Amino acid sequence: MKIKILFLFTFLCIAGILPAQEKYQVSWDYRNQSFKEFVANAERLLKLKFFFREEWVSGMNLGNTGESNDLIDILNRLLAEKSLFYFIDEAGNVVITKSYSVKFENMGEVEKTTTFIPPTDYSSSSESRQTDGNTFIEVGNPSERNNPGSVAISGYITNKDTREPVPGVTVFVQKLSAGAISNAYGFYTLTLPRGIHLVKFSFIGMREKIINLNLNGPGEMNVEMNSVLIPLKETVVSAQRSITLQRFEVGAEKINIASFKLMPTALGEADIIKSILLLPGVQSVGEGSSGFNVRGGTADQNLILLNGAPLYNTSHLFGFFSAVNSDIIKDVTLFKGGIPGKYGGRISSVLDISTKDGNRKEFAGTAGISPITTHLMVEGPIIKDTLTYLLAGRTSYSNWIFRLIDDPALVKSRATFYDLNAKVTYDLDKNNRIDLSGYYSHDSFRFNSDTVYGYDNNNVVLRWRHFFTSRFLSVISVNNSFYKYDISSHSVGAEAFVMSHNINSTALKADFNWFKGRNEINFGTDLIRHDVMPGSYLPAGDSSLVIPDIIDDELAWEGGFYIDDKLTVTNYLSVNVGLRFSYYFNTGPGNVLVYNPEFSKSRSTVIDTLNYSNGGVTARYGGFEPRISLNFKLSDKSSLKINYNRTRQYLHLLSNSTSISPSDTWKLSDYHIKPQVGDQIALGFYRMFRRNSIETSAEVYYKAIGNMVDFKGGTRIAMDKNVEKDIANVKGKAYGIELVMKKTEGKIRYGIGYTYSRTFVRSTGTFSDEIINSGKWFPANFDKPNDLVLTFSYLFSRRISFSSDYTYSTGRPITYPVAVYDFSNKLLVHYSDRNKYRLPDYSRLDISLKVSGNLKSRRIAHPSWTFSVYNLLGRENAYSVYFKQEGQALKGYKLSVFGQAIPSVTFSFDF
Amino acid sequence: MRYFYGIFLFSIVILLSGCVTEFIPETNEDQQMLVVEGLITDQPEAYTIKLSKSLPLGEPSSAIPLGNCYVTVTDDLGNVYNTQESVFGTYVTNPMLFRGVVGRKYSLHITTNGQNGKRLNYESFPVEMKPVPPIDSLYYEKRILKQNGNYPPDEGAQVFLNTHSADNSCRFYRWEFDETWEIRVPFTVPNSSCWININSSVINVKSTAAITASKVDRFPLNFISNETDRLKYKYSMQVKQYSLSEDEFAYWDKLRNISEQVGGLYDITPSSIPSNIMCIENPGEKILGYFSVSATSSKRVFIKNNFTGIIDLYSECIADTIWKPGPIPNLGIFVWVIIVHEMPIPAYRVTTFEKGCYDCTVRGTNQEPSYWRDDK
Repeated sequence: MKIKILFLFTFLCIAGILPAQEKYQVSWDYRNQSFKEFVANAERLLKLKFFFREEWVSGMNLGNTGESNDLIDILNRLLAEKSLFYFIDEAGNVVITKSYSVKFENMGEVEKTTTFIPPTDYSSSSESRQTDGNTFIEVGNPSERNNPGSVAISGYITNKDTREPVPGVTVFVQKLSAGAISNAYGFYTLTLPRGIHLVKFSFIGMREKIINLNLNGPGEMNVEMNSVLIPLKETVVSAQRSITLQRFEVGAEKINIASFKLMPTALGEADIIKSILLLPGVQSVGEGSSGFNVRGGTADQNLILLNGAPLYNTSHLFGFFSAVNSDIIKDVTLFKGGIPGKYGGRISSVLDISTKDGNRKEFAGTAGISPITTHLMVEGPIIKDTLTYLLAGRTSYSNWIFRLIDDPALVKSRATFYDLNAKVTYDLDKNNRIDLSGYYSHDSFRFNSDTVYGYDNNNVVLRWRHFFTSRFLSVISVNNSFYKYDISSHSVGAEAFVMSHNINSTALKADFNWFKGRNEINFGTDLIRHDVMPGSYLPAGDSSLVIPDIIDDELAWEGGFYIDDKLTVTNYLSVNVGLRFSYYFNTGPGNVLVYNPEFSKSRSTVIDTLNYSNGGVTARYGGFEPRISLNFKLSDKSSLKINYNRTRQYLHLLSNSTSISPSDTWKLSDYHIKPQVGDQIALGFYRMFRRNSIETSAEVYYKAIGNMVDFKGGTRIAMDKNVEKDIANVKGKAYGIELVMKKTEGKIRYGIGYTYSRTFVRSTGTFSDEIINSGKWFPANFDKPNDLVLTFSYLFSRRISFSSDYTYSTGRPITYPVAVYDFSNKLLVHYSDRNKYRLPDYSRLDISLKVSGNLKSRRIAHPSWTFSVYNLLGRENAYSVYFKQEGQALKGYKLSVFGQAIPSVTFSFDF
Repeated sequence: MRYFYGIFLFSIVILLSGCVTEFIPETNEDQQMLVVEGLITDQPEAYTIKLSKSLPLGEPSSAIPLGNCYVTVTDDLGNVYNTQESVFGTYVTNPMLFRGVVGRKYSLHITTNGQNGKRLNYESFPVEMKPVPPIDSLYYEKRILKQNGNYPPDEGAQVFLNTHSADNSCRFYRWEFDETWEIRVPFTVPNSSCWININSSVINVKSTAAITASKVDRFPLNFISNETDRLKYKYSMQVKQYSLSEDEFAYWDKLRNISEQVGGLYDITPSSIPSNIMCIENPGEKILGYFSVSATSSKRVFIKNNFTGIIDLYSECIADTIWKPGPIPNLGIFVWVIIVHEMPIPAYRVTTFEKGCYDCTVRGTNQEPSYWRDDK
């Protein structure tokens, strides 16, 4: 573009400029000059500099009425007709704006011209002025003031300190109960009737901003928000209050970043997955298991995205820590339902985690130390306001402690992990931003045996964000995710082995976001290449006699197109209609075994082997995935939402154990294994009480899942070349009701969440060995009908806060041994039907106290201490029950992962 | 700082030790299920069918045999073969009247004694006797388990098996083996050499369904470590090879998986294994065990190869010398006399306090097995 641009938001950032009021006399004959010629003369002769967009002035002519020689008069006459505004500063810059103008609240000192309004420096309004009416903004052409109908206002919200866009900000007009939430790019749009409104911008960790808006016509309003300096105060802000009424999706949960850091911790680390487990509809199999289950879905049905790239393993140290360092999290959203079209590839949920950009102004950081881990994060500009970096790392240092323990049972145990995050953000210009982020993590543990488990989890994302116009943007990204594990044992030289598995996926994505009137249209496409190495079993060391065994790689392409439109139909109804089409090709090289369809799949029923060359398509799948949501606003305080969505999943986690374990392998859909298809319908009712301080919601859902993968009883799947023969296909159904009441502001805060949900599976196979529990519906591993979560916090002062949570749930289903018998010289155990019994109920109470040091903002570092006790009541919750033969008796044992109260202390400081 | 160090340590210990407590789940299942273990082969011998009841968990358990039942075997030609209860709960066929034939299908029929209520009838699915090829070879390889510097290394042996089915009629194999080894007490006493014979309970199965020729090569049947004294003098192992149907193979394979430990953090999901026997009156009743029908072939291997580093289970046997003729002092304490020397005067006796050190029949039998010199 050849035009001279000065974007509005930069313009707004110019702090403390006083309007220039010298007289500029036009000395030349400007009659019938085009506006551009006029500007050229003015720039040359009057030493002015003009800033405007070419399209605004195209065809503009100064005409024949040249009676005034005063530039101000000329501009007033000319620009008013076109709803343009201008402003001249002391340096002689003439800035022309469209549909939007700003003025000082302190109008007395400003000259009396009425046709243009000088800008208000509201972006740097001092922190003490927080009450309404202190910033006054006029938007739109005043001449349209009396036109009928509502108009749309939109803009970008940025963090004043870091200059990052702020997603998730609630933009709310209390009087009208109208509101919106800024999207991932900090963009919001709101339709309001013309007139004066009090618009409130609020977000956790940000000082609430109230703007007096005089809305004449459609226009833009960009806002900068100040982050709150002292972390303790973060909890005071209550951005989610009105979000639930406004969101389109039933079941979308925005995680409160500030308050999850306050939650009691197991081992002294704030943890994102732990806080997700407090949400209704989210459960886990038990402590020490990684992954979580959303509304009756298995753990592999959750798409966990870190900056848009999938994470294949979400935990460290047997699931006690999440894979993502909480220091760097900017924004977390969990979609339990109503999954937008841009997300595909998993059935149950999407957990979208985006990390912070580096600080644009100055060097800053956080460091912390807890019993097992330490973490450090530093950020800052490389080129101020343009190029920033962020580096974060965590490591556990538990191994040195093991060596000090006398207990011979523990001396051989080891557990260690570390992770690193890095992000570089570069603003090429106002319309283009590139960021590169990387994540690397490594885990290794040994549980008092010689078998060492290790896994690595990495991803890299390169993103380019481009604004075509302020209301139309694109994000193009390339990412790569890699996960691998190794299990090795060196105890017997002759049998020393390394068994490994990995998945490597590379994706290209293009997403477009376009605001047009009452529509927000998202569309895009993505393409992923998956490369899975199912397993290798190799000798370790020279003396090993292990026969090397490598299963050939599996390759597949997965892609999708989507379009969805969020449309505000009336003030009382908004709809989000979306459609995604996904497709999938499993490609060679490779061999596919064809089984005799008359018999159960096994090695002996192979009737043919199909050979596929490199690139040959062994299986293709695909289909439409409609996503529809309706949001009815019933009153100012209540709303009703309905949604339906269909999802497809081409990647499966093969797990023959109850929870995600490090030895589970990923499997691509292929000739035999069909993609999973999920359908969910959900209905939600939301209502606010007590001047919106108490939020309640009730959501019901029903979900059906086809082509789920389960296993024939007693099969082992590690190093299985033809895993299809061990698979028993099952289908699933889940339904439930989730009731929530919470108060998220004031000194006392609490939340009550109760979920009643059931999840069943049923085998769909035809042969006897594929049928589990005689083909009847049986409860899934994570079917926990009653689930109650209570949270309570009390803020004694800005420096001291107390918080606690209590969780109760029905014990998970389990297959119990019911009898022993003598057969073939062995004492054997007989098990009941699959998941016929339940473990004892689960309950746990955690508490924590956070004490911040001196709150003086000038101190170099802001220290804080967190004291917490996990499982305060010391309840021995059963994780598992197992049996061992001891002499002539078979004894049962209950394994509790945390059998006692676990205190921990964390010290951290921001600098 | 000392205080925090304490907390660090505390947390870690708890984290890793977890917490394991004894736990017996309450179940409402019938814990007294019928357990059937039957095997019909093509050998000219009495075939045994054992009936027992399963036991509840947590109690010291050995099988409760189920006696006084009426057990018969039928074939697909309509012949009925009766059994006799040899031992309580163990039913044997008459080898004079019944010998299994390859190609025939056999079914098992059981009528219970009706002790607890009414008599129930049980029946197995017909099982065809498949031919079995002979074992081609059974051999071992010496393994060095640990080097001990200048001392001889610790050694063990790995036994392998090769077999093949020329016409591919046998696709699924199962092997049972019994082990015999010689032991010697360290003194020259009447019962100084004995033989121990045990049936292995290891489940060994192999499917050759995935390969074109039904050939088993170097199947690792048994590993003998230096932690027992099996390899000290002479060891022998007899292997019986059975030919299975696919269904029976699946049964044993699952049994094998499940009999290894389950229930830990990352272990496999356990499941119940369906039997091939059902109750006629109550088809939903769970029955445990399996009625197997298979031709059989067998082979024996001997191992005598001066293994080093084998554990000496008699290293604690200390002989005491009593320099006194006449009765043994310290009456009330068991003492075994190893040797009595009348000369020179005064007479003395060498004794030991462990019976096992004196008498090898504590561990085995002093009857040399008939096959013991077959390797010569």
